[in-house]
Amino acid sequence: MFRHTISELKEALVCLKAGQVTLHYPFEPSLVEDTFRGRPVLNTRKCMCCGACANACPARLITLTDSDGIRALHFELGRCTYCGNCRDVCPQEAIEMSMQFETSTANPEDLVIHAEFYLQTCRDCGAVVGTQREVDVVREKLSNSPVHTNYAGYFDLCITCRRKQAIHAPSLTLEVVP
Amino acid sequence: MSNTIDNALNWCFKKSVWVYHVNAGGCNGCDIEILDALTPYYDVERFGIKLVHTPRHADALLVAGPVTRQVRERVLRIYEATPDPKLVVGVGSCAMGGGIWHNSYATLGGLGNVLPVAIYIPGCPPRPEAILYGVAQALGLVPQQVKKQEYLEVT
Repeated sequence: MFRHTISELKEALVCLKAGQVTLHYPFEPSLVEDTFRGRPVLNTRKCMCCGACANACPARLITLTDSDGIRALHFELGRCTYCGNCRDVCPQEAIEMSMQFETSTANPEDLVIHAEFYLQTCRDCGAVVGTQREVDVVREKLSNSPVHTNYAGYFDLCITCRRKQAIHAPSLTLEVVP
Repeated sequence: MSNTIDNALNWCFKKSVWVYHVNAGGCNGCDIEILDALTPYYDVERFGIKLVHTPRHADALLVAGPVTRQVRERVLRIYEATPDPKLVVGVGSCAMGGGIWHNSYATLGGLGNVLPVAIYIPGCPPRPEAILYGVAQALGLVPQQVKKQEYLEVT
């Protein structure tokens, strides 16, 4: 009996020494590590709407839809698994995994990212080439290379029209060796 | 929907909320995080939240997982067995919109298609802190942080 009391007293002392274990969480910010992957955020200044993220997303929550000269990029983040594949594949580094994890909401519409970009259409046939930003990015990347001067006219052509023009281009005509 | 939360607030503060934990076809990830939230480190019992063994004692249902076709009837029976007023909390990305199984023939694409949900806690799985935050948000202790991000190109 006495022994029990002593052991209980010891336990009580240990508990006193340990202090408060419980986090004070909702009333103070929680610490997250630097590598934590929270809600993805789209930087709309960098994004060129190429669709690499839509291709890589395992939950298929990123969709691209073309209508009336506008390409809409739509994230339904309610289904997001926070894998970070979209951030990894983005060539423009426009997607960032934020530190935010307190995303609870009553309305799934609150977790939507919707961005619309102008489409570039082919100057010959009118088919979709890509977004205007995509074309701008390619033009900027090639601006310092000699290729730019030769192929400047090809930027606003679709792939089919580009082939048609290239086959008749004088620089590509083959010499027939007798 | 915010009306539901307001109503919930009115009775939540009067007494403790007892929750019943339902797995509606989830992978157990969310269940483990719910268990974490009950440990002394996170301690949801601070808010008077206690896990009970039967829906008849519960005030709120914590539902995890995309609702599969097999489990739909059981979830509905649990919902009906819970006395009014009741609160349904969807835990995890699966409960929110079906998660990665959103277009599977075997699931019903999220909890919202089956039950009226008061609050969703997305995440795969959500951190215990996120579950705590969601519950505290449902109780009106902390504000909502997310809102729709929209961008329309104008040149």
